[in-house]
Amino acid sequence: MKAGVAAIILAVSLFAGFRPIGPLPPLGRLLDPANGVWATAATANLRPVDGARVPGLTSPVDVLVDDRGVPHIFAGTENDAFRALGYVVARDRLFQMETQTRAAAGRLTEWAGPRALETDRDSRSLGLVWGAGKKFASYDKSSPAWGAMMAYAEGVNAWISQMRPRDLPVEYRLLNARPIKWEPIYSLYFFSRMALTLGFNDASLRRLRAQAMVGKEAADALYPVNSPIQEPIQPNGSSAPRQDFVSIPPPGAPDSAARLAATALHSVVAALRMSRPNAYGDALGSNNWAVSPRRSATGNALLAGDPHLDLSLPSVWYEMHLVVPGRLDVAGAGFPGVPGVVIGFNRDVAWTFTNTGSDVNDYFTERVDDDRHPSRYMVDGAWRDLETRVERYRDAGGAVIHTDTLYFTHRGPMTNKSGAWLSMRWTAYDQSQEADNFLRLGHTRSVTEWLGAMRDYVAPTQNGLVADRGGNIAIRSSGRYPIRAGDGRGDLIRDGSISANDWKGALAVEQYPFSLNPPQGFLASANQQPVDPRQNSSYMGSDWYSPWRALRINSLLRADSAVTPDAMRRYQTDPGSARADAFVPLFLAAAANEKTAGRGDSLLERSASLLREWDRRYVRENRRAVLFEAAMQELSRRTWDELRVEKKSKAVEEFTLPEPQLLLALSAQPASAWWNDRRTTVIETRDMILAQSLRAALDSVTRRSGDPEGDRWLWSNVRHANIHHLLRIPAFSALGISMQGGPATLNPTGGSGTQGASWRMVVELGPEVKGWSIYPGGQSGAPASPRYRDRLSKWKSGQLDAVLFPRSASALDRKRVISRLRLEPQ
Amino acid sequence: MNLRAFVAFLLLAEAFAVTTFGLGWWAVPIVAALWAAFTHSPRRAGFAALCAATGWGSLLLLNATRGPVGEVAAQLSGVMHVPAPLLYAVTLGFPALLAWSAAAIAARLTRRRAVRTVVA
Repeated sequence: MKAGVAAIILAVSLFAGFRPIGPLPPLGRLLDPANGVWATAATANLRPVDGARVPGLTSPVDVLVDDRGVPHIFAGTENDAFRALGYVVARDRLFQMETQTRAAAGRLTEWAGPRALETDRDSRSLGLVWGAGKKFASYDKSSPAWGAMMAYAEGVNAWISQMRPRDLPVEYRLLNARPIKWEPIYSLYFFSRMALTLGFNDASLRRLRAQAMVGKEAADALYPVNSPIQEPIQPNGSSAPRQDFVSIPPPGAPDSAARLAATALHSVVAALRMSRPNAYGDALGSNNWAVSPRRSATGNALLAGDPHLDLSLPSVWYEMHLVVPGRLDVAGAGFPGVPGVVIGFNRDVAWTFTNTGSDVNDYFTERVDDDRHPSRYMVDGAWRDLETRVERYRDAGGAVIHTDTLYFTHRGPMTNKSGAWLSMRWTAYDQSQEADNFLRLGHTRSVTEWLGAMRDYVAPTQNGLVADRGGNIAIRSSGRYPIRAGDGRGDLIRDGSISANDWKGALAVEQYPFSLNPPQGFLASANQQPVDPRQNSSYMGSDWYSPWRALRINSLLRADSAVTPDAMRRYQTDPGSARADAFVPLFLAAAANEKTAGRGDSLLERSASLLREWDRRYVRENRRAVLFEAAMQELSRRTWDELRVEKKSKAVEEFTLPEPQLLLALSAQPASAWWNDRRTTVIETRDMILAQSLRAALDSVTRRSGDPEGDRWLWSNVRHANIHHLLRIPAFSALGISMQGGPATLNPTGGSGTQGASWRMVVELGPEVKGWSIYPGGQSGAPASPRYRDRLSKWKSGQLDAVLFPRSASALDRKRVISRLRLEPQ
Repeated sequence: MNLRAFVAFLLLAEAFAVTTFGLGWWAVPIVAALWAAFTHSPRRAGFAALCAATGWGSLLLLNATRGPVGEVAAQLSGVMHVPAPLLYAVTLGFPALLAWSAAAIAARLTRRRAVRTVVA
């Protein structure tokens, strides 16, 4: 009897030990305290002294990890430095590296099975792997980046092959998976993925959707090629923003052809995941600015950068310092999976980027020989063969669970998701060597050299800001800007059967938005339209991000003629808002006008009184920003009611309404038909809608949050950052972090709180370059590690850490070193 | 427990810990079965279970001296939606079950063989 029970228990225990049960991984490997999940505690801290052998190393490399978790890598050659970097990044972030790779390559089904199939199909249909494969095949094998990618892969694989069972990251244990071998091409996958993340370009779709509802004339005005408020990246000589308001025509008749086109394009854009989340322009955005020596308190050039991206734990960034005596001495942030520093500084130069958001992808309708199984497409009356690629999706066991055939024209991937074949041309598919561009930056000694290193940079287009120790500052919106046929606009779908509609080349680098040492003594970018169209009318994009952050940082810098590094830091989380400065007076004036017109009431007076109390700063302790934000939402909803429809049609789902700057432009037309809310019987004017929005805002916020003096009105209780773990496991995430800043501030927060400042950096280019930095999270990707989220608190409060930047291993303060790793040739 | 039993307890617990460390969790039933096959204690299955739990407990303690085991437990409890103490209990209970069942089967098989030998 006892033996029978024992046999059953043994069988069940062994089964649970070896096999996954439901979502649970095999318990044996998971619970094993020597090699399972508990052992991750033992590997959470780096060993004070460690060593390993790495294939390919030509001489020993010393890696000193400081108390911020930053590896200082001292190597004899650059490729040895990248081998060591691959090793230490894999040690800290292996799971993240593989997750990014799988996401870009559409191989998540190998972890998650059919649940991830649609995501994988979308990724592969994008052609990211196809594009990266073409780039990799044609990469200049003698280029530094080629060697760096090879060396980096050797370092990563050295770590993978030497990992002890207890070193396996916890996520692999939960997924019951093992790391894959790292291939050099995976570094290119990351660049492709970043080009997609920063592609953003759904301007065509937004405009088409509006055209479908209110006609072409109105749509063109609501989604204009040029921003109606101008304070461009390339200074235009003006000491104040310019308002280029043009009359917005009233809503016109719906355009059925545009509706069909929008429906077709929607399916493509949705698959590409390139549509902007609602109110993106106000809720997300990167900033950078630089100050020339004559406007800095220390007489040295200063540079600040804070790229905003989707926030995650671990962070998208990894901080590092690479030293190869006589060759390279660069510190800053790079991406796990990519060799080298992307944003950072060396002994002479500092640099950072914001996204330009230019229009670099276009759609073409294609005629094919067979709608179901095409093999050719028509160009200029002649058939051309389609390139095909069979994609197989596998499950965790390696079995094929789905097969797709992808089609490619000479422009790029071609899809048919709603009855029409559309191909996409995108600069991210072009032959390019971004990895080389970024590697070159670390070697530059001056602004001029730096600009030269970025000359042939392609995608994604970036506003590269640079300052040097000689006191020079410069900015250039670098990347490939396609030249289109006809009117040159890229926000239209073109006929692919005519080769004359193809791109005609690209703008010369001399035509890029650019400024060097401008008379105003500072430069700033915040994703705004890069150039004043009166100075350069080349089409670079349309429907640009809201200009509010640019206005704010320009006004701060204009007002400060002795900027300090600490002021640069403070500006990064400045709570002021040019958007609030523009709209609060409008609301208050409307309330007064309505009262004068005999349409006032106590609700309106009360809401105006509460709004008047607000100092227009999104600090955590204020109780009025919530009212203003509600009023802005109401205003947008009521004004653009002609553009809002039920979510019956796929073409208009997720429709983003025009940016608030268009509302400001419209405010110059107080009797425009746009102000009229079609849902009411009254003909409304501007002031009536503004007043109604204010009333409705107070009503809704009071219903939701109670008394205006109560804590539920506190901004800290309203707006949060939510930093999810890569697998969105709450226990590994940092959620509900109250933040200073609101929509359109320099530290914008909005919506789900999942986007924000992914990296903040300030650099002073003095005789000795000094840097300060922070990012949300920590250097380690191991959730149990004390270095997993050790930077969060400072990031939240807008503080920066001083970056250690020793010239040699011996110059690094021993008290600040937590681990020494010696890598030897194998 | 006399000194001899205590030493046996320590040695067996150590054996579980060392073989788990070197080979993996599946070494637990093998060690338990081997031990049960070569000893004649009437309570060998229970003894093996206790030793296995102790062996794994000592490995847990060893981890705790090197890193944040409590943090791992807290995070894992969040992932698996179970209280952290239950995770500790399962971690100690799992080897105990493996060891008990393997030892019980081994004891039964060796007793039968011994009886056959005596009969022959």
